[in-house]
Amino acid sequence: MEIRKLLFVTKFEDLCYDALNSLLALRNASLEHVVFLNVIERDKVAMKRGSGYLKQEEVKLKETANIRFIDWAENLFEMGLEVGAYMEVSTLIPEILKVAQKELPDLIVIGHSNKGALKQLYEGSDVTELIRRTEIPILVFKHRLEDNIVPEKLFQRPLFATNWSDTGKKTVEYIKGLKKVIGKIHIMHVVKESALKSLDTHEVQKVRKVERKRLDDLCDELEKAGINAKPHVYVGDPQKEIEKAAKEYQASMIILGSSDKAAIMERWIGSVSKNIADKSVFPCLLIPGNKNI
Amino acid sequence: MSKKVLVVDDDQDVRSFVVTVLEENQYIPLVAQDGVEGLEMINKHKPDLVILDVLMPRGSGIRLYRKLKTDEELKKIPVIMFTGIALKSFMKSQKVLDEFQGGEVPKPDIYLEKPIEPEDLVAAIKKKLG
Repeated sequence: MEIRKLLFVTKFEDLCYDALNSLLALRNASLEHVVFLNVIERDKVAMKRGSGYLKQEEVKLKETANIRFIDWAENLFEMGLEVGAYMEVSTLIPEILKVAQKELPDLIVIGHSNKGALKQLYEGSDVTELIRRTEIPILVFKHRLEDNIVPEKLFQRPLFATNWSDTGKKTVEYIKGLKKVIGKIHIMHVVKESALKSLDTHEVQKVRKVERKRLDDLCDELEKAGINAKPHVYVGDPQKEIEKAAKEYQASMIILGSSDKAAIMERWIGSVSKNIADKSVFPCLLIPGNKNI
Repeated sequence: MSKKVLVVDDDQDVRSFVVTVLEENQYIPLVAQDGVEGLEMINKHKPDLVILDVLMPRGSGIRLYRKLKTDEELKKIPVIMFTGIALKSFMKSQKVLDEFQGGEVPKPDIYLEKPIEPEDLVAAIKKKLG
């Protein structure tokens, strides 16, 4: 699957032109169309006692966004890309879904949610909500923690953590579409400690051997597609081990398939992919499973 | 007979502004809010003039302009570009597309950068339609 069109969702404080610029490597992977979306949260223009609906504020915010988008669009137009823009007063996730339905992007790029822990617990994070409601891959963009700078070569050295699910297979197909921008991909599987309990050394090695063989086969499949891939087996808590591997191999991003848990379970316990997307310091590319809508 | 002018712009306020100007000057306004709808309207109504924005959802004015100017039947329809995007960027974009897709499209008949006074818009329209 190729990335021809991306939807770039920005509040300007989280994602700016530097982030967009780092995604332009995707032009080598068929990118031809960028759609900007700025959602002005309703509470910024909502009625206040004595002043009514803040129409002037809406105009000001929309025009501010428009000026930024015109500037960005000029750069992209000059590269021969197609560009579109939306500025809406709305609620973030429903608006993203609405625009995604109209534009049918191959990738949605969003910044990291800045909701506090308590708000996330009760409302869920934006990423969690979005991934539950769309089948379109989502890139949760993050700036480098140490200097707040955008990672220069986002697709250069990704880490793909697979749990061998059907979503994992969908993710592999998506990765193949990125072959022109990926330098080298590290592929890992985390064996949960619970799977090793009551096993002797021989059995543990056997588990490792089986998983390693599956990873080798997957690497061969990607090598055939023209992607340099390296397998790794880790043992332990998936969330911690994925983060550890990303650091060890200096990953430029983490790629994960995302399974669907019941919404309420997800809010209280979370899934590995959503927890990593929310908490990791690395940018995360999440590939949602197919929805039975 | 009054002439038909199609306004393609995603901004409701801009559409209202241009429609008012057109009606006050006895033109028949038609409206579309993005590039896709714009092309549909052009094919359906064959307007005498198109006033075209550039940065829009579902198909920019750059691509729509290109489609118009490379279509044997539609290329005679005059186009006034009415946008916040600089002419220089518009022309650079067309040049890249010329190289990439082949062919060459002419410079727009009139290129107006937003915002503009009503009388200047009327003057531009009259220049093309009389």
